[in-house]
Amino acid sequence: MLNKSLVKKFESILGTNNYFTEPEDTMCYSYDAFSAEPVQPDIVVKPENEEQIKYIINICKDENIPIVTRGAGTNLSGGTVPVKKGCVLLTTGLNKILEINENDMYAVVEAGVVTANLANAAIKKGLFYPPDPGSMNISTIGGNVAENAGGLRGLKYGVTKDYLMGVDFYDMDGNYVKGGGKTVKLVTGLNLPGLMISSEGLLGIMTKFVLKLIPKPKFSKSMLVIYDDIIKACETVSEIIAAKILPATLELLDSFTIKTVEEATKIGLPTNADALLLIELDGHEAEVLEDFEVVKGICGKLGGNIKVAETNEERDKLWEARRKALSSLARLKPTLILEDATVVRSKIPEMMKAINDIKNKYNLVIGTFGHAGDGNLHPTILTDKRDKEEMERVEKAIDEIFTKALELDGTLSGEHGVGFAKAKYLEMEVGSGTIEYMKKLKKGVDPQNLLNPHKMGL
Amino acid sequence: MDDLIKELKELEELVLQCMKCGTCQAHCPLYQKDLLESTVARGKISLIESVYEGRLDKAGSILKHLDYCILCGRCKENCPSGVKTDEIFLRAKAVLRKIEKLPSWGKVVLKIVMEKPDLLARVAPLMHIGLKFGAKRVKDDIFKPLLGSFSKRNIKQVASKPFTKTHGGLHKADNEKMKVYFYPGCAANFLFPEWGEAIISVLNHFGVTVYVPEINKCCGIPAATLGELETYKKMVNENLDEINKNDSEYVITCCPTCQYALSEMGPKLTDKNPDKPFYDILMFLNEILKVKFNVDLNEKFSLHTPCHYLSSKKANLKKHLEENFKGDFVVLENQSCCGFGGTFNMKKYDDSKAVGMSKAEEVNIKNIKKLFTPCPGCAMQLTDAVVEVGSDAEVEHPIMYYARELEK
Repeated sequence: MLNKSLVKKFESILGTNNYFTEPEDTMCYSYDAFSAEPVQPDIVVKPENEEQIKYIINICKDENIPIVTRGAGTNLSGGTVPVKKGCVLLTTGLNKILEINENDMYAVVEAGVVTANLANAAIKKGLFYPPDPGSMNISTIGGNVAENAGGLRGLKYGVTKDYLMGVDFYDMDGNYVKGGGKTVKLVTGLNLPGLMISSEGLLGIMTKFVLKLIPKPKFSKSMLVIYDDIIKACETVSEIIAAKILPATLELLDSFTIKTVEEATKIGLPTNADALLLIELDGHEAEVLEDFEVVKGICGKLGGNIKVAETNEERDKLWEARRKALSSLARLKPTLILEDATVVRSKIPEMMKAINDIKNKYNLVIGTFGHAGDGNLHPTILTDKRDKEEMERVEKAIDEIFTKALELDGTLSGEHGVGFAKAKYLEMEVGSGTIEYMKKLKKGVDPQNLLNPHKMGL
Repeated sequence: MDDLIKELKELEELVLQCMKCGTCQAHCPLYQKDLLESTVARGKISLIESVYEGRLDKAGSILKHLDYCILCGRCKENCPSGVKTDEIFLRAKAVLRKIEKLPSWGKVVLKIVMEKPDLLARVAPLMHIGLKFGAKRVKDDIFKPLLGSFSKRNIKQVASKPFTKTHGGLHKADNEKMKVYFYPGCAANFLFPEWGEAIISVLNHFGVTVYVPEINKCCGIPAATLGELETYKKMVNENLDEINKNDSEYVITCCPTCQYALSEMGPKLTDKNPDKPFYDILMFLNEILKVKFNVDLNEKFSLHTPCHYLSSKKANLKKHLEENFKGDFVVLENQSCCGFGGTFNMKKYDDSKAVGMSKAEEVNIKNIKKLFTPCPGCAMQLTDAVVEVGSDAEVEHPIMYYARELEK
C-alpha cells in the first residue's frame, strides 16, 4: 500500500478521476489473458497526456515504485501482470489517431489506439495496415509494439515490426526519446524502434508511433479447405510455400478446434473434418486468379475439399470464426494454456506430428490451430488448474513442445512474447551470453529495474 | 460472511469459463466510454473470483462495480468462451446485496412496482397531471420536468389511465383463428398504451383474439438488476402462473426485456417454465401470421435493435423493417446499446445518457426522420437523446404504422 502523501502526489498530477488505489479497483489490473496467479498493484494510473507520464515516471523513480505499462491487457504471456506490485500505467486514455498520411503512406498514433480502429481508418483512405492479431478488435498499438504482435497475415505481410517506422518514448529519467521517423530510409543513430519492438515494457514507456501503411490490395479470394487427415493439411501448407506462392493468410484448425469454434459461432463449419485450412490470396486480380488455380491443384492432390467464399459476408464470417478460436476453446475446460511455439515453415508437418505424440504421451486434451503459413502454431492445452496431478503433466508436455520447436530451428514464441510465462525457457533458445547482454542493456537504461521487472527473467 | 463467500463460490463453475481474453471490451458500451477494466465483464468476473478466493476482504465493496452495468448482455452475446455473464452478475449481486443493503429509493420503487401494481395504476393519473403542470412541453407528448433530479430528462407523458385499466380483458376477433395472451409490461402500460391499442387492433384484424390482463404485474427485472433476486423470482412465478393457466396459444410482448425476464432468464432461476411460446409482436406478425405491410414512408428511417431482442431474431428484425416499409433505410454505424438499462438510467443518469447521445448524434447527422425500435425502454432513452441533440427524428414502434395502415 502506498502512503497517503505519496497518493496525494499522484493526485496532484492526475486529478481525482484518473488514479485508483482502492483494492476493488486495483484488483482489476492484477491479471491479463495468461492464466496465472493474479497480483494486485498498489496504484493504477490513467494518464491523459505525455506531461503526466513524465511526472508519473519521476515519482516512481524517486520512490522506487515498479511501473507496468498496460494497454488492453490481452497479452498471453503474463507480461502485464504486476509481479512486483507497484504502479500499473494505463495507456487506454491516449487513444488518438493523430495523422493518416496518404501521400507518404504512414500513420501517427498514440499508444492506446485500438488496432482495428487504425486498420479501419486506413481502409477508409484506401490504405492498409496489415498486422492483424487475433485480438485486434481490442488490443492496442502500444501493446502490439511491446509484444511485436503478429496475426493472420504474417506470412505475406509480416508482423508489427515490419510496420514500425518511429517510436516516441520516455526513459526512466523522464527523458523524451525519439526513435526513427517518417522517412522510408532513416539511418541516424541506433535503431531504437528495433530495440523497442518486443521490449515488453522493459526499456521505456512508449507513447506514440509512426507506422507504415501500404496500398490496399485490389483483389482477394478466400477459401476454406476441408481435410480428413490433418497431416495432409500440413503438407498442403508446405507445398503451397514450395510452389513460391505467398497467400495473405494460411490458417490451420484441427478437428477439436473446428468443433468448438462452430459451437461458438454457428457459421456452418464442417464439424466432422479432421482439419481445415483457411486460405486467402490477395493482390492483383490476374495474379490472384492464377495462384488460385495452383493452390486449388495442390489442395485437391492432397485430398482437400475446397469451398470458396462467394461474398464479403461469407469471408468475414470465416475470419471472425478463426479469430475466436482461442477463446472458444475455453468453453471446454476451466483452464486454457495457449502455446506459441513456432518453427520454420517446412517443418510444420513434423511439429504437428510431435504435438500429437506429446498429447498422447501425457494423455492431455490439446486443440491446435495457428498461422500454419508462417510456422506459428498454437497448441492449446485444456486443463483445470485445480487438478494438481494433471498440471504436472501439462508442465512436462510444455517442456517437450518447446524443446521440439527449438530442435526444428524454431522459437519459443512467434507472437505472444516471453513475459514471465516463458522466462525460464529463454536461455534455452538464446544462450547465456545473450541473456547477459540483455541484462546489461536493461540495467543500463533502468538501473533500479523498475520497468516491468522480472519479465523475460530480467 | 462465510456463508456469503460460500454462496459466491457456487458461481465458480460459471466464472471459470472466463479465460480473461478481453473480447468483451469491444462490445461493452460503458467500456467504450470509460476504458476501465472495472467497467467490463472480464474485470467484474475477476472481482467476484477475488472475493471467493480470498484476495479481497471487503466483499461488499465490489457491488458498486457490478451495479455499474446496463445488463445489455452484449458481453454474453459476443463471448467466444460462452460465459453466462448475465446469470453471473445477477446471482452475484443478489449475494452481495445481503451485505450492502438496498438504498431507500430502491426499496420504495420495488415495493410499489412489484407489490402494489394497483396502487401504481392509481398513481398514474396524478403523474400525468404532474407532468402537465410541473414540466415544460418540449414536443407533442414529450416533457421536461421543471424541478428535481428529473429536470435533465425529456420524458414521455404518462398515460392518464394505464392500458390494463382501459383494455384489460378479452378482445375477441371476428373469424377468430387463434387466441393470444398479450403481456404489456409496465412501460407499455403506463407510457405507451397506444402500442397496446395498436397491437390489439392489428391482431384482431388478422383474426387473433387478444387477452389482456386486468392488472399488469411487473416482469421483475428491475428487482433483479437491483440485486433483489428473490423478488424477481416471485414476480416470474406469479406471472408464469397466470400465463400458464390462460388458454391462449402464444404470449405476445412488446418489450424485449420483459420477454427476456419471463421466458429466458426467469425460467433459468426458478423451476417454472412457460407452457406456451413467447413472441415479440413483430416476429409474431412475421413468423406466425406471416403477414406483410406496405408502409410508404418517403423519408430516411432507421432501426435501433434492442439488446434483449432474441439474438437469433435480430437479423430478422432488420429484414422485417426493410420488407414492410418503403423509404430510405439507413443502417446506423453505431449498433451499440441505447444505454437505458431501466434502473441503470435511474441510478446513473449521466452515464446512461452519454451512451444514448452518441447514437442520437449519428441520427441527427444523417438526418434520419424516423427511428424505429420495438422496445419501450429504448424508445424512452432515444427520445430523450434525440431531443437533446436537437434532432427532429421521431422514435416509433412499427406497430403504430401497421395499425394506421389497416385503418385506411
